[in-house]
Amino acid sequence: MAGSRTSATEVIGRGHPWLSLAPALGVIAVLFGGGLVLGLAGSFGMGRGGWTFEPWLAVLSEGRVWRALGLSLWIAFASTALACGLGLGAALLLRRRFPGQGLARLLFQINLTIPHAVGALGILWLLSQSGFLARLAGGAGLIDGPAGFPALTQDRHAIGIIAHYVWKEVPFIGLILLANMQSIGDDPEAAARSLGASPFAAMRLVLLPLLRPALIRAGAIVFAFSFGAWEVPVLLGQSAPPALPVLAWQRFTDPDLAARPEAMAIAMLIALVSALLIRAAFAGRS
Amino acid sequence: MKRMMAGLGGALILAGGLAHAQEGDALLDMSWDEIVETARGGEVNVFMWGGADNINAYVSDYIGGQLEDDYDITLNRVPLTDTAEAVNIVLGEVEAGAAEGAVDMIWINGENFRTMKQGDLAWCGYVDKLPNADLVNFDNPAIANDFGTPVEGCEVPWSRVQFAFANDTARTPEPPRSIPELIDWAEANPGRFTYPAPPDFTGAAFVRHVFTHVAGGADALIGPFDQAKFDEVAEETWEILNDLEPHLWREGRTYPTSITQLQQMFANQEVDLFFTYDPAEVGTAVANGIFPETMQSYGLSDGTLANTNYMVIPVNAANKAAALVTQNLLLSGEAQLEKAQPEVWGAATVIEPDRASKEVQAGFAALERHPSVVSIEELGQAALPELTPDWTSKIEDGWIENVGN
Repeated sequence: MAGSRTSATEVIGRGHPWLSLAPALGVIAVLFGGGLVLGLAGSFGMGRGGWTFEPWLAVLSEGRVWRALGLSLWIAFASTALACGLGLGAALLLRRRFPGQGLARLLFQINLTIPHAVGALGILWLLSQSGFLARLAGGAGLIDGPAGFPALTQDRHAIGIIAHYVWKEVPFIGLILLANMQSIGDDPEAAARSLGASPFAAMRLVLLPLLRPALIRAGAIVFAFSFGAWEVPVLLGQSAPPALPVLAWQRFTDPDLAARPEAMAIAMLIALVSALLIRAAFAGRS
Repeated sequence: MKRMMAGLGGALILAGGLAHAQEGDALLDMSWDEIVETARGGEVNVFMWGGADNINAYVSDYIGGQLEDDYDITLNRVPLTDTAEAVNIVLGEVEAGAAEGAVDMIWINGENFRTMKQGDLAWCGYVDKLPNADLVNFDNPAIANDFGTPVEGCEVPWSRVQFAFANDTARTPEPPRSIPELIDWAEANPGRFTYPAPPDFTGAAFVRHVFTHVAGGADALIGPFDQAKFDEVAEETWEILNDLEPHLWREGRTYPTSITQLQQMFANQEVDLFFTYDPAEVGTAVANGIFPETMQSYGLSDGTLANTNYMVIPVNAANKAAALVTQNLLLSGEAQLEKAQPEVWGAATVIEPDRASKEVQAGFAALERHPSVVSIEELGQAALPELTPDWTSKIEDGWIENVGN
């Protein structure tokens, strides 16, 4: 059978690489690039009668926007750092061979399939002041009422939001690192060990530097998502300051048409800050 | 180049505008029977807030079923979390010159309607084509004005609502019954009251109650926006609300972000007062077991805000004939009576029952409300007219800047 007909990969692989990539690149350019260009044009007042810098000036001179930016940066940095640290630790534990390893790996990655909004609601039911833990504490007589339970959702430090992102992204980071370790194999570490390195030194000086590129790539994805996503902070966030994407959404749904260009400017600000920080992370790698 | 682009865009918008104006004009020249024949076999896309299952079922099953059976029209209900999303769709389409828009009807009122009217996004001038429009008293100022914006034949009324407070009589036997009482009550019961932060619709309406109280009543705020008056009233309002903060839920450091969150917090006994712009929701929540049987809703002695909500047809709607048939059905005595049944929705009607058939009149006379829902007559004794969008948006922005930071 094989060889008698031209396989699909051969057809796709034929011709110039750019030609083969054209369908995928076309979709990205039209759907993603098109949206980005329209959003950028909208932030300069296109469709509202003439080009203007006013929406950007208004957004950049507003204290609320900067406070929202600060909160979103805190959420994204804290979530990424915790998820990377825990994900790395989990991957190092899970790569060892032990009885029940398959089950442990399955349990580890099971929440990858759960949508963020569902996870956020779960966090709400678990951690809020009238949530499951608060009810347990109340039942045990530790607190008098909901107000006695520490504020872990809709709280000033965004603990609920960060808890959700860490819960959701640790398996993602861990899975990418596990795959990466599999392709690196045991050889580099074994070589270091045979040259007299301790197990810890072999891991720190050989394995970790080899994992770094994958960790930065996975971390960048987590950062971009937790910085730019709207559904988790809208469910678990406090009222003021809102996370930057929530603020953009509020402006976008403001009945006053004049607020639309500002919404676009905030959305573009999210994309810009995210792109610059990720660029910096990749630059720092080499 | 820039000018050329702008000119091109303008021409496109103009051409699009002309195209849908023509289609609408053709309908207006038809008799009602011809409109119904044009609509037959088509579909209508209704965009509406989708947060209440009973309302969704009424529109999809009751209205959608009748459209299917009597006119062979398919009703597609598109749920929204915020009505401005649908306005955004229409705005984007009209800007792009799309004559055949995706939105045929939006459940709307207030600022969103003003936005559509200002942007020439609403189709106007068809209301007297609807046979059932005769059941509505369009001379009633509460129907002729949508949050102070004259309706002028650009939308059709659907229901009336009036703001009410609610409490659990087992937990809070003596709830506060005026804004000053409420402030004293909140201070005496620290942590047991809060309100959703504007721009949440219901939270903003609560802030308007305090604002109206400070102004000395709704009469002082009627008419066009008055900056001097606003500054004077706003300063005192923000002071009252800021002084209240230490006594609120979480010492006012944060507020719930939606009325749904406040409803859950009330159900979970985190707070002791609830309020809603649609008291029928209290009955629904009791029936669903979210609120206890001992729930009651009530108005304030100094009055609560009331408004009418409407259905609007966008200027570029692709299925205008089917939308007209749907609007006519929504206004029929039978559909309005069904909507007023407490187990269906319990929504107050916009028609004059005595203009409807004998059966419908008898049906309205026999309506029984849910014991937890305050009667519309009792509430209506102290109804405050809604402020115009200039006032409401200034109050929202002022709260965010001065209180909610």
